[in-house]
Amino acid sequence: MTQNSFTRSNDRSLRPVALSVALTLAAGLTTFSAHAQESPADGVHADRVDWGILMDMSGPTASSQSVWVRGFQDYAAKVNEDGGINGRELNLLVEDNRFDAATDKIAFEKLVGQTPVIAISGMGSSVSQVALADTIKNGKVPVIGTYTPTKALSEPVSPMVYNGFCGYRQQAEAGVGYMVEKLGLENPKVMTVAIETAGGQEYAQFVADAVAKYNGTASSTTMKVTAADVTPQVQQIMSEEPDFITIYGIENTAILTMKTLAQYGLETPAFGITYLGTPSVYAALGAEAGANYNFISCFTPGGADDAEGNAELVAYAAEAGNADLSGNINYVAGWVAGQLAAQALEMAGENPTRESLVAALEGGFTVDSKGLAAPIVFTPEDHTGPQVLKMFSYDYDNSAFTADGDYADYEKYTKPAE
Amino acid sequence: MSDTLAPATVAAARAKTSPGKWIVRAIVLAVLIYAPFVLTSRSIFGIPLSNMQLLNLGLTQINLMLIAMLGALSLNFLTGSAGLISIGHAAFYATGAMTAAIFGTQLGWPFPLVLVCAAIAGALAGILAGLPSLRVRGLYFVLSTLAVHYVVVFLFQEYQFAFFGVVGVPFAQPSIGPIAIDSPIRWYFFLLPLVALVYFGLRNVLATREGRALMAMRDHELAATAMGADVRILRLKAFALSSAIAAVAGALYAHLLTNATSEVFGINFAIQFIAMIIIGGLGSLSGSLLGAAVWLLLPTIITGLTSFAADSTGIVRTVLVDHRPQLVQMIFGLIVIVLLIFAPGGMADLIAKLRAALFGRRHG
Amino acid sequence: MFAQVLFSGLALGSIYGLVALGFAVVFKATDVFNFAQGMFAVCGAYFAVTAISALDLPFGLAILFMIAACATLGVLAHIFLIQPLAGRSMLAIIMVTIALSIVLRAGIEIFYGPQGRVLTTPLPSGVIRIGDLRISQLHLIAALTSWACMAIFGAFFRFTSVGLLMRATADGHEAALVSGVNVNAMNRLAWAIGAVLAGIGGLFLGQLQIVSPELEAIGLLALPAVVIGGMQSIPGAIIGGLLVGLIAQFAGSYISPKSTDIVIYGLLLLILMVRPWGLLGQRELGRV
Repeated sequence: MTQNSFTRSNDRSLRPVALSVALTLAAGLTTFSAHAQESPADGVHADRVDWGILMDMSGPTASSQSVWVRGFQDYAAKVNEDGGINGRELNLLVEDNRFDAATDKIAFEKLVGQTPVIAISGMGSSVSQVALADTIKNGKVPVIGTYTPTKALSEPVSPMVYNGFCGYRQQAEAGVGYMVEKLGLENPKVMTVAIETAGGQEYAQFVADAVAKYNGTASSTTMKVTAADVTPQVQQIMSEEPDFITIYGIENTAILTMKTLAQYGLETPAFGITYLGTPSVYAALGAEAGANYNFISCFTPGGADDAEGNAELVAYAAEAGNADLSGNINYVAGWVAGQLAAQALEMAGENPTRESLVAALEGGFTVDSKGLAAPIVFTPEDHTGPQVLKMFSYDYDNSAFTADGDYADYEKYTKPAE
Repeated sequence: MSDTLAPATVAAARAKTSPGKWIVRAIVLAVLIYAPFVLTSRSIFGIPLSNMQLLNLGLTQINLMLIAMLGALSLNFLTGSAGLISIGHAAFYATGAMTAAIFGTQLGWPFPLVLVCAAIAGALAGILAGLPSLRVRGLYFVLSTLAVHYVVVFLFQEYQFAFFGVVGVPFAQPSIGPIAIDSPIRWYFFLLPLVALVYFGLRNVLATREGRALMAMRDHELAATAMGADVRILRLKAFALSSAIAAVAGALYAHLLTNATSEVFGINFAIQFIAMIIIGGLGSLSGSLLGAAVWLLLPTIITGLTSFAADSTGIVRTVLVDHRPQLVQMIFGLIVIVLLIFAPGGMADLIAKLRAALFGRRHG
Repeated sequence: MFAQVLFSGLALGSIYGLVALGFAVVFKATDVFNFAQGMFAVCGAYFAVTAISALDLPFGLAILFMIAACATLGVLAHIFLIQPLAGRSMLAIIMVTIALSIVLRAGIEIFYGPQGRVLTTPLPSGVIRIGDLRISQLHLIAALTSWACMAIFGAFFRFTSVGLLMRATADGHEAALVSGVNVNAMNRLAWAIGAVLAGIGGLFLGQLQIVSPELEAIGLLALPAVVIGGMQSIPGAIIGGLLVGLIAQFAGSYISPKSTDIVIYGLLLLILMVRPWGLLGQRELGRV
C-alpha cells in the first residue's frame, strides 16, 4: 500500500510503519469484508444506477455549487419516489473537489474506476474542466450537465460532453441585446465589471463582441475576488459614464458594485451573469440599490412564474425542507441538470451501460423542463445546452423574481447570424 | 529517530545494517512495486477488493502525494537544516510550472531538459527570495516569503493572460526518450525513484561538511562561523537547493494536471507544505514523507469511512451525508490539532516513540 | 476623485486597522501569529446574524451577544489550543491556528448552510454629501467605530491597571510571574480582545457585503498591516491598517485594480529589508 513508500528509505525507525500498515490492511480487509461487493464497471446495479457529481462542496465556490447539488439531489429524490428510471433508483455519488484542480483529478478518477458511475454531472471548476478535457473526450464516461461551460470541454463537439448551464457568450449576447433594445440605445457604451480571473477577461471579450454588433464601445474594469470596497471601480464608471454595466464574478462582486453605485447616486442600469441572480444578492442590496439590478438567465427561479415545472420544483423543495433554496438560480439549474440526467438515463434503455448511454444520446435529444427553461435542444452538432435566456429582476414588494417577457422573445439575440 | 537532521545519528544509522534488514527492504520494495497494480486493478492476487478495502484511494492520488512529498522534503530540509521557514514554496512550484511552460509548452524542449530548466529557475528564484534572510530571521523572514508568494503568483497570472488566456497554461504529455509518461502507473514509476533520489540526496547533503555547518548554524550561528563557514552564503545555498527541488515538483505537478492557472498556486497551496512538515515532524526528512501522506490521503480516507452512513436518516443523515465535505474538513482539522498537541515531534517522533515502546528492549 | 478615494481608503483602512489591532494585541501578549484572525472576523459576522435573525434580539443586545460570543471563542481558543502548545515552535502554533480556522469554517458551513447570509442592522445606509464628496454613512460609522475601539483599547492599555498588567506581562513574562500576575489570565484576556476586535471588523464587512466564510480574507489583509506598522506596536497596527487601506484604494484608482496586492506586498518587502521592526515598532534584533 501507499504508506509503504516511506519504508523505501533505509530507515529502521520506519519499519513499524510497514508493520502497522500491514496490520491496518489486514484489519481493513476483515472489517470491511462485509461491505465487499462487486461493483459493476459502469455503476449499474440491480436496483440502482450510480451517477457521479463532481462539485465544490466545501471550497470557495461552495455557496453556489452546493446549492446546485441540492437541486440535483432533490430532483433525483423525486424521480426515485416516482419509481426511479426503468426500475432502477438514480443514486448520486457526490464528490467534493474543494475547487482544487488536483482534488478534481483524483475525484474524477475515483468516479471512473474506484466507485464507477455511468456518467458525471457538474464539473464546476473551469480550471479542472480544461485539465480533464482530453481525458473526458477520449474516455468512456460521459459528462452530462456541466455547471460551467468552458470552451476546452465543449469545443469541438464531443459525444462525451453535454452542457447544462447558460453559456457565457449567450449571456453576453442576450444581456447586451436586451439592454440596448430596452434602453433604446444607438451606439451603446457598455462597461464590464469583472473579478480578476481569466474567466472574467473572457466574459469581457464576449460583451465587447456583442456590443460591436450595435456599433457601440465596450470597456472593462476588474476587482479582486476578495474585494471589500470598490470605490476605484465605481470612480471609473462615473468618469466613463456607460449606458449600462454588466457584472461578472461572485455574489459580493454584484453586491459591492451595486451598493457603491447607489451610494454615489448613480442609477446606471446593470445586469449580472446568471450565477449572480440569487435571492441573497437582492436581499443584501435592498430595494433601492436592487432596483437597477437585473440578471440574465436561462433558468427561471422558483416562484417567478406559474409554469408546471416551476410549481413542481417549489412544492418539492418545500417538502424536502429546502423551501429557502427554491428561489436560488443554482438550485433550479441543479434541478434542470437532474432532468437532463434522468432523461438521458431513460434513453439509455432497460440495461444501460456507459456505452449505450453515449450511443443513445448521439443522435440528439430535447429536454423539456416543463417551463423552467426554454426547451434544451441537443443536436449532433450542438451540445451547448440551454441557449435561450431572459432578463430577470426582483420585485421587492411581492418578494418574487419577475421576468421581462418570454424565452421565445429573446431567441433573436443569441441566434447565430445566418 | 535515526533521520533527525543530526549528522551523528545519520552516520550511526548507516553503520548498523543487519542481514534481516535486507529481507525487510526487499519486501518493502516488492510491496511498493506491486501496490500501483493493486490500486489500478482494484484487486490483490486476483481477489477483487472493494473501494473501502483500498481505503478509497486511487493511484493518481498517490502520484500527487509523491509530488507533494518532494515539496515537503525540500521545505523540511530548509527548515530543519537552515532554520529558515518559508511560505514561499507555492511560489517555487509556480516558478517551476512557469519555466516548464516556457521551455516545454512554448519552445518544445524535451521533458528531462525542461525539468533541469525548472530546477535552475527555481534555484535562482530561491536565491532572490532568500536575500531577505541576510537581514531578517524568524517571523519576519516568513513574511518576506509571503510577499514573494504574491509577487510570483502575480507574475504567473500576467504570463498566463499574456500567452494563454482563460483556459490556463497547457502542458504537453511528458516523455523520457521514447517512453511516454501517459498513465498513472507510469507516473508512479517515474515519481517513486525521484522521491527516493531526493530523500537520500538530501540526507547525504546533510552529512557533508557544509550540511553539518548548516545545522550548526541553525542551532548556533557563532559555532558555525567558528567552523569557518560563511553562514549567509550557506543559507542562500540551502535556499537555492530547496527551491530548485520545489520548482521541479511544481513542473511535475503542472504536467500531471496537464493544465495550470495562477489560481492553482494560491495561499492555501503554500500553507499546505507547512502543514505537512509540522504534522510529519519538523526537521525530520522521513517525517516530511509522513506529513505529505497524511495531508493528501487522510481526507479521502475519512470521506470513505463516512460513506457507510449513506443509508441513515434523520439528524445523522443531515450531518454525515448532506454535510460530509464539511465533516471531513472538521475531522481533519481536529486530527491536526490533536497531533499538534499530543505529538510535539510530529508523526515521525510519534512513531519513533511507539517503536521504542514496542521494540525498545530489542534494539536497545 | 482624490478626496473620494482618500475617504474610502480611510474607511476601509479603519476596518483593516481594527482587525490588525486585534492581531497585534494577541501577538504582543502571547507571541502567536494568529492565522485564525480572519475566521474570528467571520465568526463575529455570523454571531451577529444569529443574534439578529435567529434570536430576534434588538440591535444593542445583538452587539453585546456578538462581543460576548467572540470573547468566549478567543478565550476557548487560548485555553484549548494555545496553552497546551506553550513553549513550542512558532510554526506549530501557527499551524494550530490554521487548523482552528479549518474547523471553524467547517462548523459554520454545517450550522448555517452553504448560502451567504444577509446581515440586516438598523445602521444607516444613506449618503452624506459634502460638496462633490459623497460619504456613505455606513462607511463613516465603520470608521468612527473603529477609531472609538482603538481609542478605548489604547486608553485601556495605558491607563487601567489591568491594561498595564497586560503590557507588563507582554514585555517580560518572568518579571510578571515574579510579581504574581496571573499570566494565563492576561493572555486569555488578550485573546478575547483580539477576537472581539476581529468580530467587530467582521460585523462591518458583513454589513458592507454579505456574510460568508469568504470574509476570512480580511485576516490576510491585516497581516501586511501589522508588519508595516510594526508587529510589537499597538498604534503601529492601526497606522498599518490605514496605510494598507489607503494604498489599496489609491493603487486601485490611479494604477490599476490589479496592482494592489503587488504594491502592498512590495511595500511589505521593502519594510522588511529596510526597517524590519516596522514603522512604529521598537528595534529588536535577533527576534526569531
